[in-house]
Order: sequence, then C-alpha cells, then structure tokens
Amino acid sequence: MSVEALGTAPVPAPVGRAGVMRRLMRDKVAAIATIVLTLVVLAAIAAPLIAPYDPYFTDLTIVMQPPSAEHWFGTDNTGRDILSRVLYGTRNTLMLGLVGVIIGGLLGGVLGILAAFYPTLDGWIMRLVDIMLAFPAILIGLAVAAIFGAALTAVVIALVVATVPDVARVARGAAVGVMGQEFIEAGRAVGVSDSTLIWRYLTLNCISTIFVFLTLRFGQIILIGSALGFLGMGAQPPTAELGMMAAQGRDFLFMAPHIATIPSLAIFVIVLAANLLGDALRDVLDPRLQQ
Amino acid sequence: MARQIVHRLLISFPALLGVLFLCFCLLQVVPADPAMIIAGPDAKAETIAAIRLELGLDRPIPIQFLDYIRRVMHGDLGRSIISNKMVSEELGLTIGPTVELMLGAMIMAIPIGLTLGTLAAVNRGRLADRAIMAVSVAGVSMPVFFIGLILIQYVGFKWALLPFTGRTGPVWDGGLPSLILPAVTLGAVLIGPISRLTRTAVLEVLGADFVRTARAKGLRETVVIVHHALRNALIPVVTLIGLQAAFLLGGAVVTETMFSWPGVGRLAVGAIVSSDFPTAQGAIMILALAFLLINLLVDVLYVYLDPRVQRS
Repeated sequence: MSVEALGTAPVPAPVGRAGVMRRLMRDKVAAIATIVLTLVVLAAIAAPLIAPYDPYFTDLTIVMQPPSAEHWFGTDNTGRDILSRVLYGTRNTLMLGLVGVIIGGLLGGVLGILAAFYPTLDGWIMRLVDIMLAFPAILIGLAVAAIFGAALTAVVIALVVATVPDVARVARGAAVGVMGQEFIEAGRAVGVSDSTLIWRYLTLNCISTIFVFLTLRFGQIILIGSALGFLGMGAQPPTAELGMMAAQGRDFLFMAPHIATIPSLAIFVIVLAANLLGDALRDVLDPRLQQ
Repeated sequence: MARQIVHRLLISFPALLGVLFLCFCLLQVVPADPAMIIAGPDAKAETIAAIRLELGLDRPIPIQFLDYIRRVMHGDLGRSIISNKMVSEELGLTIGPTVELMLGAMIMAIPIGLTLGTLAAVNRGRLADRAIMAVSVAGVSMPVFFIGLILIQYVGFKWALLPFTGRTGPVWDGGLPSLILPAVTLGAVLIGPISRLTRTAVLEVLGADFVRTARAKGLRETVVIVHHALRNALIPVVTLIGLQAAFLLGGAVVTETMFSWPGVGRLAVGAIVSSDFPTAQGAIMILALAFLLINLLVDVLYVYLDPRVQRS
C-alpha cells in the first residue's frame, strides 16, 4: 500500500477530499509547494527518459566544468553530468524517504492502535517505543552500517526506526480519543468482532491524523537519510544519491563548489516543499496536531 | 523533585538495557570472528582457540551479555582493533570536544531562537512575523552539511575569516576561533524549531489573564513580554530542546565529520569505515547514553521551571 492509497482511504474527514484540495490550493504557498513536489516526483520517476546524459558515464576531458548550455548543472570531478546525476539521485533519495515513511508508518500505526485497543498491551508497546526513542536515527544508521556494512538498507532501517516510535505515539493518542467515543461501545454491544472494531471503527478514524503526521515527518526523514548518505553509511559510489553526492563534492569545494552545492540545494528544495505542504495539510485536515 | 527524578531514572532503565544490548549485538553480529581478526590471518587454530577462551567467546550468549555489562560498568570497553588503544581512553579524549561543540551550538541558537520567536509573536501577522517564520521553515528544511559547506566555502576559504578544520584547543585556551564555524553550523539547525515554538508559546501566553493584569498594572510592554510572557513560554521550549536532542546529536556527527572536529561522532564514523568494531560500539554507546542523559536533564529542568508538575 502506498502513501497515496492511505490518503484516499474512505476517511470520515471533517471536509471532503475535493474540499481538501480546494482549500490547499487557496493557500498560495501550499499550492506552490504542491506543484514543486509534484514536478520533483515526476522528474524522479522519469529520470531515465529526461536525463540528458548517462549519469555514470565519465569523461575525463570535461571534469569539474561549471554550469553551461551543454551541462546545465556542470560536470563533476570525473566529468559526469551533474543534472543527470541529480535526477537519478533524487530518485534514490525520495525512494529512501518513501520506503522509510511507509514501512515506519505502517508499523508505528499498528503498534499505536493496538496499544490503544488492548490495555494489556499498552504498557509493553509504549515501553518498546520508549526504548526505540532512546536511539537517535543517525545512531541507528551508524550501528546498522557497522554491523551489516554501509548500504541503502542500513539507511532504510534507520529511517524506519526513526519513524515508528513517533507515529506509534501519535496513532495511540488519536486512537485513545476514538476509543472513548460511544460508537465503539455500541459496536461492542451489538457483537462486532475485534478485528472489525480495530479496522473499520478505529483505524479508519485515525488514518487522517497518521497521514498528516507522516507528511510532516517526511522532510525530516529525507534530511536524516541524506545525512547518513553524506556520512558514507548509505549508497556507495558510483550510485547517485543526493547526500553522498554532496559528500563527494566536498573534496572539490574550493575548485568547483557547484559539485557539492547543487545536490545539497536539491535536498533543500525537496524538504522545504515537503515541510510547507505538511504544514498546510495539517492546518486543513488536522489542526489538533498543531502543538 | 527527587521523586520525579527517581521515576524518570526507572523509566530510563529499560532504555539503558536496550542501548547496552544493541551495542553488545554490534560486537556479536560482526561478520567475521573477532578472535580470528585479533589473531591475524596466519594464526594457528590453537592460538585462535586460546583467544576465544580468553575473550570468553566460548560461553553462552546471555552469560557473555552479563559479562559485557560488568565490563562496561568498570569502564572497560575493549581495545581498538586499529590503534590497539583502550576504547575508553579514546572516548575520554573525544567527549570533551563533542560536549563543547553541542554547548557552543546551544549557546548560539537558544538566544537567537527565543528572540526571533518572541519578535514574531509580538508582530503577529505583520511582515516581521512572516519573514521570521519563512526563515525558520527554510532553516528546518536545510541539510546540516549544506550550511556547513556554505560556511566553509565563504567564511573559511574565500574570506579566510575563521579556521574550518580541526580544533586548536579548549575554548579557554585559544580554541574559540576553531569552534565558531562548527558551532554555528550545528546551532543553525536548532534556530528554526526553537523560534517556531517560542512564537506559538508566547502567543498562547500573551492571551492569558495574568498578562492582561500585568498590562493593566501599567507595566512597560517590554517587562510584560520578557518577564511574564517569555518566562512562561520557556516551559514548552525547554521540552522542545530535549526533543531536539536527537537532532542535535545527529547534526553533531555530521558537523564533526565535516570540520574534522575530534569528537565522538567523528570517532564513530571513522571506526565504522575502518571496521573497528570495539571503537564503533563504544562511541555509539556513549552517544546513546548522552542522549538519555540530555532527556533526563530536560525532565529535571521541566520540573524546576513548572512547579505545577511537581505538585501533581
């Protein structure tokens, strides 16, 4: 199940789906953020089609060229086209963030809802969550990379661990609120099974809160993922990943600053758009999350 | 007060065990046999067996874990595979610089964040508010290394104003210039969230009755804002700084690596890259313990700032 599928689940939201889009678009900043993010996602998906060059093709006669008409973002230290690499890098970076948020969101959501539904599990689940919170994501990334070697999977595991405890808390909070409502008691009274209660009565009523929270977290998750990439714990060369590209460009910062700056800027644009969209979505869908 | 702290300590205990267990696993799940690494490539089978016996590697895992905890309690974290120095010794050398970096970042970020947030709240809806909030969203969205790259490139290299590699010494001994760029890089991450939350908290307090009373008494507006509004708004801000501790630690690892700052984070990254598992395990454990400790301190501070928590 993808994030999109979660978002379109039949949620009894305060406003209809069309209403959400309309209200989002009325906010100019949110509209721009949505457009930018859509373009970034499309560019990432279509990277093999629109990339002007092979992102792995090295040409030592044109190393470290500044941006030009042939190479819009210039070339890196081995003469690879940076625009093409940024397109592929965005693909990898976005994929990392999405996989982390989706797996972490599902696990955290399940834990939180189960904790709210079964009081006997509550203490145990929340204790587990506390322990997970004791490990900052970067540390998890470092530990996993230390054990299994640096790879994209190490980063994904770190991002999942970073997502699960917070989502579990938010989901539990939302679910406890729903549990207190009369229709749960009514459902129990007419003999609805636990699984139906959990899914149709509880989960569907919590999904919009969880979804908004995940949107809010997406930017941060991308930042953690790219920081791990920057530290060399994630994608290994020659794979293009934005954080790792920035780290590689660092060695040539004084000769050709664009090699490090452009991938960093790409991360900034993605995260900024995600954060702005998350803020706007929260205001429309779930103002309660505002602290 | 004491009861709160004891309660918090009891909560941290399972987390502490979790930290220890994961670090222990880090030494266990190592792809290669540690005894074989230590013995070297041409070692005889007897030598390897002797080392296994010496390290206690032949005993059951739970016993080894208890043994590990006992050794950690005594400050024995093993020896670095690379430098053969005691890990605890290497950690002792790197903790100071990391603490210095984090404190430097907080000393820089907290006053700026509080000021920006209060200014935004007081000028709610006006241009200043919108500008400050735009800057803080941008700050939250920026990768730590991006800020660092820009500072190194301009302040460090082009304008040659400040050093940008290594640490020349402790702050009190002429080390301040080398601390500035790393601390600003790390602190920049905190300004955004602090100013955002300060704004919300001050706005909430500004609507409270006691602020109206203070104004009605004829107190000057600055006194009302600083003494009444900001002071009360500090409570959520302190909690936030605790929540940001994870961010701060992660940022410290990146910042140390970028600026060749001789701290625990750089030690951890270097150890992982060179497969020095004992050092990596020790460094990760210290960072995780630091994180637990920061959260504990924040809780204590919280009780101190908000006496209501104490009574309930």
